[in-house]
Amino acid sequence: MIHTVLVCDDAIFMRTMISDILSQSGYEVIGEAETGTQAVEKYKLLRPDLVTMDIVMPDMGGIDAVREITKVDANAKILMCSAMGQQALVVEAIQAGARDFVVKPFQPSRVLEAVQRVLAK
Amino acid sequence: MLDTSRYADLFLTESRDHLAAMSEALLALERSPRARGPVDAVFRAAHTLKGMSAAMGHDAIAALAHEIEPLLERVRRRELQATRALVDVLLAGADALEAAIAGVPSGGLMGTDDACRAAAHRIAAFEGVTIASSAPSLPTPAAGISAVALEGRLVRIRVSSDVPMRGVRAFLIVRRAESLGRVSALTPDLDALQRGEFGRGFSLRIVTDEPRDAIEHALLAVGDVEAVSVDGEGDAERALEPAAGAHAGVRRHVRVDTRRLDALMNLVGELVIARGRLERIAGAMESDDLTQGVGDAARLIADLQAEIIASRMLPVAEVFERFPRVVRDAARQLGKNAELTIEGGDIELDRSVLDVISEPVMHLLRNAVDHGLESPVERAAAGKPLTGRVTLTASREHASVAIRVRDDGRGVDRERVVAKARALGMLDAAAAPTDDEIADLIARPGFSTAPEVTAFSGRGVGIDVVASTVRRLGGAVEIISVRGEGTCVTLRLPPTLAIVRAVVARVAGETYALPAAHVVTALELDRRALSGAAAAERLATRDGPVPVIRLRTLLEMEPDDDTLKQVVLLRAGERRVALVIDEVVEQREIVVKPFDAALGTAPLFSGATILGDGAPALILDVAQLAAVGHRVSAGGPRPSTGAIAIESRQATDSRQVTTDSTVLRRPQ
Repeated sequence: MIHTVLVCDDAIFMRTMISDILSQSGYEVIGEAETGTQAVEKYKLLRPDLVTMDIVMPDMGGIDAVREITKVDANAKILMCSAMGQQALVVEAIQAGARDFVVKPFQPSRVLEAVQRVLAK
Repeated sequence: MLDTSRYADLFLTESRDHLAAMSEALLALERSPRARGPVDAVFRAAHTLKGMSAAMGHDAIAALAHEIEPLLERVRRRELQATRALVDVLLAGADALEAAIAGVPSGGLMGTDDACRAAAHRIAAFEGVTIASSAPSLPTPAAGISAVALEGRLVRIRVSSDVPMRGVRAFLIVRRAESLGRVSALTPDLDALQRGEFGRGFSLRIVTDEPRDAIEHALLAVGDVEAVSVDGEGDAERALEPAAGAHAGVRRHVRVDTRRLDALMNLVGELVIARGRLERIAGAMESDDLTQGVGDAARLIADLQAEIIASRMLPVAEVFERFPRVVRDAARQLGKNAELTIEGGDIELDRSVLDVISEPVMHLLRNAVDHGLESPVERAAAGKPLTGRVTLTASREHASVAIRVRDDGRGVDRERVVAKARALGMLDAAAAPTDDEIADLIARPGFSTAPEVTAFSGRGVGIDVVASTVRRLGGAVEIISVRGEGTCVTLRLPPTLAIVRAVVARVAGETYALPAAHVVTALELDRRALSGAAAAERLATRDGPVPVIRLRTLLEMEPDDDTLKQVVLLRAGERRVALVIDEVVEQREIVVKPFDAALGTAPLFSGATILGDGAPALILDVAQLAAVGHRVSAGGPRPSTGAIAIESRQATDSRQVTTDSTVLRRPQ
């Protein structure tokens, strides 16, 4: 079974990079979002198996987006993509319902490991 | 029996750290009685102190530390409220511990064991306010303490060495453990874990029916977990013991005897002097090779010096951390409400500067509470918040570090200062002093406005003592006070003591050093710019007239002749003064040696130094010169020339003492 992924990040560079890592390993990126609001809307629409979520995004941040998405679907599987030094925010995101995290700059192997862990749960 | 003497020093330094942590946590507990973190922190400190002192054979200390644990355990289990009375009895216990530990090097001070036993008894007998047993127990995740919560199976977790955001990973692991059952203990606690303050691993206790395999499997699946062990039978002490390489993420430190640092500093100081001598010789020889060799060595010496200076720097938080306690105690005993805010704890100062200013700053804080802050009734009447604010700030300002103690109290009582100054004969009956002069009066030796002696301040020890301590360090004190709004005392300190840039000046064949931080400029003396009578001369400058001090006159040397003179414009805080000298010799780094002036003399010198040619020179105290200049120009009395004459002679004597030794001593 091919898992579907929604990639949320305000930087096109990051979205492209994550999408490349995932598609090369057999995941299907079915949507991208640039803002938290878009992430929530697209989640409702696409119901992906996994969401990768940037923390800092315009209009609605990643943590609020996690809250909104888990309200819609308590079983949503969200992987946070954090920059270094955002420990407290990552903890907050996990408390809001995120399942795991990866730290930028990304190492493809770490991203894939985390994705597998989140999907296995 | 184990020879404990080798550990004595370690015991002392470490137990002081734990005591400081305990006091800090107790104050935090008083502020937020329902918080779990402080209770755990106090518990850990008491537990560690108990273990250490028992190992060292200090039974009374161990027994007292032991009594603290069950009381805290009742707080932790929400059976007892963390009331002020409870914090008080524990603080008293911490005091007894501190006194007893302080007495350890001298073989135990008189009565500290009895004090420990008395404090232990009070803690054991403490009744406190109990909470009805229906109160909810602690929510999970429990940042509990495994020594007291032994239920559940002991799980030890090792994370991978290259795990990113180890604190967050640990948090995820704890959450996963909570999904399996109730986590009854966590070592270290959740706060520390989240901050990543653990070694490769940590441990927890979990109450669950899940089989060992399931626990291991679930926790390994969190990711970045290297190993999980489930003992079930493991003992508590092992769980408490930090995993190997604890605090691996924190900077590595080695404890060094401070005397060794002082010796290093002295040696590099001598090296700097020797460098100066070599540079002079190389300059005279006109050999390129020699000059280059000496230049290389000089750069290396400069690097070495910078490293040693850096190794002596400590963040001010090291001494500031005990001040919340000082303010709290002062406020409570005086029946006032006070809150201390500390800012800039990471600013660094030389260890020796820090050691010396600790007492003065504590004094200023007590002063602020005692004389500055009003009683709650007065504050209410004045429309101020009932709790007085005291702020302690450290900040870098140009080449110096400023330490400020500010309160929002009543300000300096002008009338009382004037009355007292008149009674002491420091002020003429008719004089109407400016704010500047009021501040000056307070800082004069022997001045105190306290109407009665209190336990904290007023015992004849006032801001004057603070001021002279700071001046001795080559710093300056500034007092700004607004009636009804508060007082702000600023101590400006050199960040390091031992080596400063200085302008070397010659007067009547003698050399003196002026700290470059205070020197605005040096110029040829233009007699046309001078005005005023001989006793109150002024020099016109671009920024207005400045009082003039003729160093020859001040030091009672031969008076100035008609040859060309130079003048050095000096600044100390807001004050400026023009110092007439014969000539500026050079600007250079000097190594400051303490100079112990006789008591009762005008403190015109803040230290002494050895110049490159091996000749000693006294370092002029610029703040003091500026004060003299302003008193003189304001028509006030000149400083007692007798006192200066004594000091001047003494200075000459010290020179003789020091010609064959680089250490300056006050002649006996």
